[in-house]
Amino acid sequence: MNLIVNEQYNIGHICTRQQCDLGFGPKTALRWVSAHHEKTDYSFVELDRESNRFANVLQGLGFSTGDIFFTFLPKAPEQFFSFLGGLKLQVICGTLFSSFGEDAILDRLGDAGAKGIVTKKSLVKKILRVRDQLPKLQYIIVTDIEEHQSADILSFWQLMRDASTDFIAPLTSADTPSVLHYTSGSTGKPKGVLHVHGSVLHQSATAVQVLTLCDSDVYWCTADQGWVTGTSYGIIAPWTLGVTQLHYGGGYNAKTWFDLLEQESVTIWYSAPTALRMLLQEDDDVFSGCDLSQLRHIFSVGEPLNPEVIAWAERVLGHTVYDTWFQTETGGIMISNRPGVTVRPGSMGIPVAGVEAAIITDDGTVLGDGEQGNLCLKPGWPSMFVTYLNNTAVYGQKFRSGYYFTGDTALRDQDGYYWFKGRSDDVINTAGHLISPFEIESALLEIDEVAESGVIGAPDDLLYEKVVAFVCLHSRFEYSKQLELKIRLHVSNKASSIATPQEIIVVDSIPKNKSGKIMRRVLKALYLGEDAGDISTLET
Amino acid sequence: MELQERLNEVFCQVFDDEDIRIAPEMTADDVDGWDSLSHVNLIVAVESTFGIRFTHKEVLTFKNIGDLMNCIAAKVQ
Repeated sequence: MNLIVNEQYNIGHICTRQQCDLGFGPKTALRWVSAHHEKTDYSFVELDRESNRFANVLQGLGFSTGDIFFTFLPKAPEQFFSFLGGLKLQVICGTLFSSFGEDAILDRLGDAGAKGIVTKKSLVKKILRVRDQLPKLQYIIVTDIEEHQSADILSFWQLMRDASTDFIAPLTSADTPSVLHYTSGSTGKPKGVLHVHGSVLHQSATAVQVLTLCDSDVYWCTADQGWVTGTSYGIIAPWTLGVTQLHYGGGYNAKTWFDLLEQESVTIWYSAPTALRMLLQEDDDVFSGCDLSQLRHIFSVGEPLNPEVIAWAERVLGHTVYDTWFQTETGGIMISNRPGVTVRPGSMGIPVAGVEAAIITDDGTVLGDGEQGNLCLKPGWPSMFVTYLNNTAVYGQKFRSGYYFTGDTALRDQDGYYWFKGRSDDVINTAGHLISPFEIESALLEIDEVAESGVIGAPDDLLYEKVVAFVCLHSRFEYSKQLELKIRLHVSNKASSIATPQEIIVVDSIPKNKSGKIMRRVLKALYLGEDAGDISTLET
Repeated sequence: MELQERLNEVFCQVFDDEDIRIAPEMTADDVDGWDSLSHVNLIVAVESTFGIRFTHKEVLTFKNIGDLMNCIAAKVQ
């Protein structure tokens, strides 16, 4: 069955109306299990209608092609209706982690010039604190208030009640902008990674080739929708194939998760190494009575997957875990271990069909097997990002010598397997989230007591990397438990809980080069007790 | 001030939401933003506010806010 019918690339249409046309209308598209374990099933017909309603809501509010709106929600059905409805209208949909603080919100909504945002009552105040700096933000749509509060703070369900369930998505070309995710770099503000509707081709194809999804599957992707995995493989790809998706509104709990896997007869499970490492720490008794006979495969994404986790899963769960690699910019899986290909524990796997990877030096020389260098991809796969919003210069810098430089370093062995080695920049990967040290350093400098700050990622058994903050205090202040708390809460509430330093180390000064740039590699060497290498540029 | 009121203030501060109203039966699923990372902030804040220290084992055994309140009450007696 062709995914693209009559040149209609519209993701919202393909995930809903097209599935109904294929005969999946009455089938459960979304099994929603709330944090309190209330279950609600939405068929493909209902998903189509609810997303149609939201498309009509946005249209009624004056949204049109190319406008940008965000969702800022914990997992909730409204997330899916909004996302798909917006795409149907050719509005660009950005997704935000609900753990984001006001600075993170301001950076993203401000850069995007967002016209609207869908959120929850408990999160509205974070937006209101920066509202006066967001002149283009016209509507805050709230999912858990009964009635409109004002002309611009609107009730999601009041709007939905008044909206028609009929909507026909306009014919949408492959290059029409679709999804916007912000990603962190080691310097500057987060960058808006813009994708297009044509990305659906690669996302759907890899869901078949790698995840082995078919329409008889019950699939659970635990990723938050703020993450590219949460949209590419937690919304889009499975629904292009008529797959039933389980989504759970509660947090991590080993027993609950395994009860869900068993009771909902999940066949394909896509999670993250940090979650799997948390499960590994549980007593085996938690899993011993669990019937996972329906489960075909487990996949992982976000950080390198330790061989120990794979060994544990094979011993305790009776399944291997297939690690997959991609990033926000690639929009879909690029390199993976997968069924039918021998797993090499600890490796990223081999490139998927249509993806050409290479290991390249900084000056563009392609390296041979066994040599470590920049992990690069030959441009041209359908889910490739099309720009960094408002930042075409940095976008251009990512492409050199005919390749896209991913920012990761790796090597390829003689059998074509890729092995992740690290980042070529200072970006921190904590629990699968890329965190900018610059953003945390900036938040730290807002604290009265802090004179200077430098932030690094340090190895961590659970999170892969943890955030370690070095702070230099103004001379009139002393470090205390209260100040530790103040620092923690400030970073958590301004940036996000994910960015909160796991360790805070007070130092007399922060090492900088003669241009005033923080020398994070010196801090990292100091933390790890290693040689700092060349420090000739260190300002003394 | 009652223990629950003081603890409520800590929750409002940690989760940046002055509308939170805690109750003994509430769990992490009832408070937006209460994840494993913000839980560390909560524990640090509770320890600082009440002048107490939790053991690692105690932190792992809190099933709900009632358990947390009982542990605090036992330590501040």
